[in-house]
Formats: sequence, C-alpha cells, structure tokens
Amino acid sequence: MSFSSLRPVLCCVVLSLVSACVTSTVDEMVLKKPVTGLGEDSVVILGRRHASDYETEPDFVSCVGDYIASRDNAITVISELEFLNAVYPWFEPRTAPLHPVDIERLLQQKPVADKMAALKVEYMIWLDGSTERTGGSGSMACSLGGCFGFGTWSHDANYEATIWDFTDKTSVGRVNTSATGQSYMPAVIVPIPIIAPVQGTACDGIGQQLLEFLSSGH
Amino acid sequence: MTSADRVARLLLSAVLLLGLLAGCGPAHVVVEGKFPAPLIEPLPITLGVWYGDDFAKHEFFDESKSRQESSWIVSTGVAQVQMWNTLLAGMFTKVVHLTRQPSEGESVANVDAILVPHVEELQYAIPRQTNIKVYEIWMRYRFELLSADGVPIAEWTMTSYGKTPTGFLQSDQEAVNLAAVMALRDAGANFATNFTRVPALQGWLREQGVPTEAAAP
Repeated sequence: MSFSSLRPVLCCVVLSLVSACVTSTVDEMVLKKPVTGLGEDSVVILGRRHASDYETEPDFVSCVGDYIASRDNAITVISELEFLNAVYPWFEPRTAPLHPVDIERLLQQKPVADKMAALKVEYMIWLDGSTERTGGSGSMACSLGGCFGFGTWSHDANYEATIWDFTDKTSVGRVNTSATGQSYMPAVIVPIPIIAPVQGTACDGIGQQLLEFLSSGH
Repeated sequence: MTSADRVARLLLSAVLLLGLLAGCGPAHVVVEGKFPAPLIEPLPITLGVWYGDDFAKHEFFDESKSRQESSWIVSTGVAQVQMWNTLLAGMFTKVVHLTRQPSEGESVANVDAILVPHVEELQYAIPRQTNIKVYEIWMRYRFELLSADGVPIAEWTMTSYGKTPTGFLQSDQEAVNLAAVMALRDAGANFATNFTRVPALQGWLREQGVPTEAAAP
C-alpha cells in the first residue's frame, strides 16, 4: 500500500487526536411557551454586567443572537449594542432592570415607551454567566531551536438565559448551560495548540434551546 | 566618504536614535468613542455649561513602577466634552455653551443656571494575575451649579466606573480606550438618572418647577 493511499486515513487519525473534548449539559424550564409566532415583533438578547467579579462577554451575547437569527429567518434579533444605544441610559450596568416588574416603571417614561413600541420588542433575553479558565499544568521551554514540552489547561463555561415576556412583564422561561473542556498544547519544535471550543459549545447549547422556544409558536 | 554621505549617515543615526527614544516613552491613548443621546424627557431648564481647561483637556499620567510595565498618558478631555455635550443636550430643553469662565457678580443672560463639571480623580487598574487585556477605570466628578450671576447654588460629587468588556482586544491601547468609553457611558447614565435625586439640588429644582425624586437609599 502506497503512502498516498494511506494519507486520508492518517489525516483522520491526526484530526481525531488533535480535537479537544468538551462536555456540556443544558437544562430548560419553560413556564409559558409562545402560542403564536413572533410575526413582526423582535427579540433582544442582552448580557448581565452588574456583578463585580465577572461580566457576560459581548462576544457570547452576539454568538447566541447570530445562532438564532441564522437558523430562523422569521425571528428578528436586535443586536445588543444597537439596543443599548437606542435606550441609553436605561439598560447600562448600573440602571438595567433586574426583575420583569421593573419594566413597568421604565415604561412610565414616554420616550422609553415610544422607543420600545418602535422596536417592537416581544421578548427580552438576559444572558448571565462567563467562561473561565479553571486550571493548567505542564511546562514548555523555547529556544532558537524551537519549543519542547507540553501544556494543558481547562475552561468552564456557565450561563443562564432568562426570558422575559415584554407584553406580560413576566419571566416565561429559563435555560441553563454548562460546558467544560480541556485544551492541550504539545510542542516538538513547533507548539500546536489544540483548543477546546468551550464557549462555542455553550453558545450552541443555549442558542438551540432559545431557538426552539422562540420558534415554537409557528 | 563624501560630505553628502556623512550627512546621510548622520541623519540615519539621528532617525534611529529618535526611534529608540520613542520606544522608551509612555504609551499615549487619546480616548475616542461614540456616545448615544439620552432617551429622556428634557427638563424645562436652560442650562449654561462651562468646561474649564482642567476638564476639556483632562489627561492622566501613570508612571511605570517597574521596567516590565510602561507608563501611560490617557487623554480623556475630548471624549469628556463630546459625551457631556451629547448628554446635556438631551437632558435639558436648551444648553448654552459659555465662552468665558463664569464669575460671581457677572451675569450670563438667558440661562437658569450654569453647570461646571470637574474630573476630581481618575484611577485605573490592570489585572496583574492574568495576561488578558482587561483594564478598569474609575472616575470621581465634582459638579458646581451656579446661578446666572455666578453665585454658587449647589455642589456635589459623582463616581463612574468602566471595564474593558472583552479580553480579546488587539492592543493595550484599545483595551484602555474601551474601558474609558465604558466609564464615560456610566458617568452619563449616573448623571441622567440621578440628577433630580441629588439632595443639594432639591430646593432649586422645585423653584424651577421640576418634579424631584427622593434619593435612592
């Protein structure tokens, strides 16, 4: 058997070896599913940023929004920055409503009520959580001849999505996702990082559950 | 070697030396950002505004504590003026920008009061335990509210805080800039949502016919 005929097999073996593993779980609690489709209404996805020790990453928020918008053209997702600028200063970290009932107080201000009506927000989804590096080990030495050694580290992602119904001013669902993954970096002359897509897996998990919720009415 | 060659070599050496010296200098960030207008019912007040040089040209210098760190000059003045101009224009029915510093006994026509903001303090922090580019900026403002003829009405302070919202920016300068923009947004949010709750302003606001709110506990 020639080397060229073995090449695809070798590629498959190498690819399976270089992909790092991610374990993820998703929990969902739905209190009230939509009975009709969103129609012309829209959804806004926002990150919680009021905790002192972590902030929900804007990249994660846009990843979840892109996941939903790319899989169901009927759902209009307003981008986080566009929404925050449109309703400034009412959704900044220090002023954002923490409970659905706070929306009622916010809507007592005419400019805010008018803007919300113009944006046609039906659901507001709050993402709360972060991805953190939880540990690492190994060592690597680099010189002019290249790098030698091995390093490994892990990431934990924990996020919770809370769905607010903007019409009823109530919380109608909650989705939790957690993902853990181990990344590796072996180095024989050239370091080869094998990164576990922990945040991406969490994004797909939470995005799929939110998509099923939002698409359930049509 | 001709004299032209000598001049060329001298010039090249000078350029290289200047390049090396520039590499040793502090990192300079001129804060730039876009600030949205506030979504708020304007208060029925014609406000005069005076930005002193300490405010309009505000910058802070942080000298490095070790060879591994670099010194920083962060100029926030232009962004401060941009943010406060946008915010105040949306908060009050009319804003008049003064061309001269207000002084007691010198009356400014057609304004209900004059606001003079100051940046009293600015601190920044770098998480040293990690290599990610996340900076934090904390600012303390002091505001003076003067009557149209320069008599002090009230004085109060306010803080704001901003943090780089992502650890994946290309450069330290970008990360510092974004932290400063977040701090300025927070300053605007704090001022806009709490202006009618400032205890020192309650009496004056009532005189202007503006409904006041109790300060948050």
